[in-house]
Amino acid sequence: MEIEEILRELDTIFRDILKNENITLTPETTAKDVEGWDSLTNMRLITAIEKHYNIRFGLREILKFKHVGDLCASIQAKKK
Amino acid sequence: MMFLSLPFVILFTCCLILYYTVKGNYQKPILLLASCIFIGYFNIAYLLIAVLIAAITFYWGRWIGMQEQENKRRRVFIGGIAFLVLFLVAFKYLNFIGENIAVLLGWFGVDWKGAITSIFFPLGISFYTFQAIGYLIDVYWEEEEPEHSLPDFMLYMLFFMKFLSGPIERAFDMLPQLKIEKRFDYDTVTYGLKLMLIGLMKKVLIADRLAPHLDSIFTSVQDASGAQLLLAGLLYPIELYADFSGYTDMAIGGAMMFGYRLSPNFNRPFVAKTITDFWRRWHMSLSFWVRDYLYQPIAASKRYWGQWGIIYALVVTFVLLGVWHGSGWNYVIYGLIQGLIISYEMITVAYRNKVATDVGKHVFGVYSILRTYLLFAFSLLFFRLPSLSDTGYMISHLSFNLHTSIKELRLGMTDQECIIVGVAVVLLFLYEYFMSKRDLLQALSRRHGIIRWSVYYLFVLLMFLFGQFGSEDFIYLQF
Repeated sequence: MEIEEILRELDTIFRDILKNENITLTPETTAKDVEGWDSLTNMRLITAIEKHYNIRFGLREILKFKHVGDLCASIQAKKK
Repeated sequence: MMFLSLPFVILFTCCLILYYTVKGNYQKPILLLASCIFIGYFNIAYLLIAVLIAAITFYWGRWIGMQEQENKRRRVFIGGIAFLVLFLVAFKYLNFIGENIAVLLGWFGVDWKGAITSIFFPLGISFYTFQAIGYLIDVYWEEEEPEHSLPDFMLYMLFFMKFLSGPIERAFDMLPQLKIEKRFDYDTVTYGLKLMLIGLMKKVLIADRLAPHLDSIFTSVQDASGAQLLLAGLLYPIELYADFSGYTDMAIGGAMMFGYRLSPNFNRPFVAKTITDFWRRWHMSLSFWVRDYLYQPIAASKRYWGQWGIIYALVVTFVLLGVWHGSGWNYVIYGLIQGLIISYEMITVAYRNKVATDVGKHVFGVYSILRTYLLFAFSLLFFRLPSLSDTGYMISHLSFNLHTSIKELRLGMTDQECIIVGVAVVLLFLYEYFMSKRDLLQALSRRHGIIRWSVYYLFVLLMFLFGQFGSEDFIYLQF
């Protein structure tokens, strides 16, 4: 999967969970850049992403995600 | 040796002068020596324990770093965390555990006197143990390389400006700062001094003015009228804030004078519109610590429970945050209240947004700020009062009833004291509001010398004229 394709799919998931149609993610986006993406909504996003791609992230992997780019790279590696 | 004592002023001044006169290589040994004197001055055992824990954590971090097999790495890591937690329990929670075991055994007819007791309570233990645990977790998660310099690590753990009551520093924030030689910078040093003055003013003009009067209400709640209890409950968050944020300003300002940037601990907590937001603004170094090292791992491991997983993580995290403050069921309840309110706020976010749109954002905003303050003030009753029976009594007797006259509402303060505290609180909130827009201290430093020094002298004069001196203690020292 191409990063750009993953980003657009993540946009849809983020918009749905955070109820915000204006979200457009880039690899550099962090939680600070997106209104409503905080420690309370983070796990809902992670589980929605896992469900969408039918994958499972490791515990340490989740805790080490620094920005959307890390998330995309992990999805890409798991979908190879 | 407290911040508001002559020995501290002498130690701080001598240390600062020496620090900027010696060559760079000697700066850290001077700070380390001053930190050892500072801690050892209370009790030499406190120093020995802190040094021992720092050294063990240092070598344990390196031991984790040396492991190549994941299984062994994990075992070493768990061993290190278990050691630090047991160490903290031994000094802080043994009495509490002993008492509860005695109660449990009593239910089965066994008369056990609760023979487990802590020997003594080393100052600063909750703060530096959490720092040590955070460091080992970061090394295990490979967020942080194991530190190679024992003296640097010692200073990270023992630095006297943050030793007693934090901020709880992260290794990745502070250790890199220790690698850089500090040169005297007039602007930084004077900024730090101004911050210390602001902290001192919060302490002597607000916290120490309120403390004796609120203490007398809280130590004998049965003697106070309903209205006095209500007012004391409403004022306590302000006393606690002035005391702890005053201490923190002094800690951050003092560290800044040595060229170190410590983490912020407060960000205008009383403008928070939810308890969720409040904990992002109150004792931030602790709440971010529990968020990263407790909440996130628990929430991640329980994420398949859906919303219940997050609620579970929130409740466990906040109960532990409550218990961090001390051993007692009151602290458990204090934390539980926070966890339950935040869970409620998470579930009702859509409903609250709808209400805000219906009634108007400004009206709902003011209501939300007041609601958050009242909820926090209520939860603090469990934090402040010595026993659950006193807390129960106070809650059940909160009212507008007076025993004799309206003068009771001065809570024993003179008219002058009421005016000083009232004006100081308003000025504090105004100062914080304008500081959130632009850095007033920096702006002041750019003014003409006459204006600048007039303001400094005015502040010092006001402080000595209206400050309440004599108390050296800070509320958070007990933790």
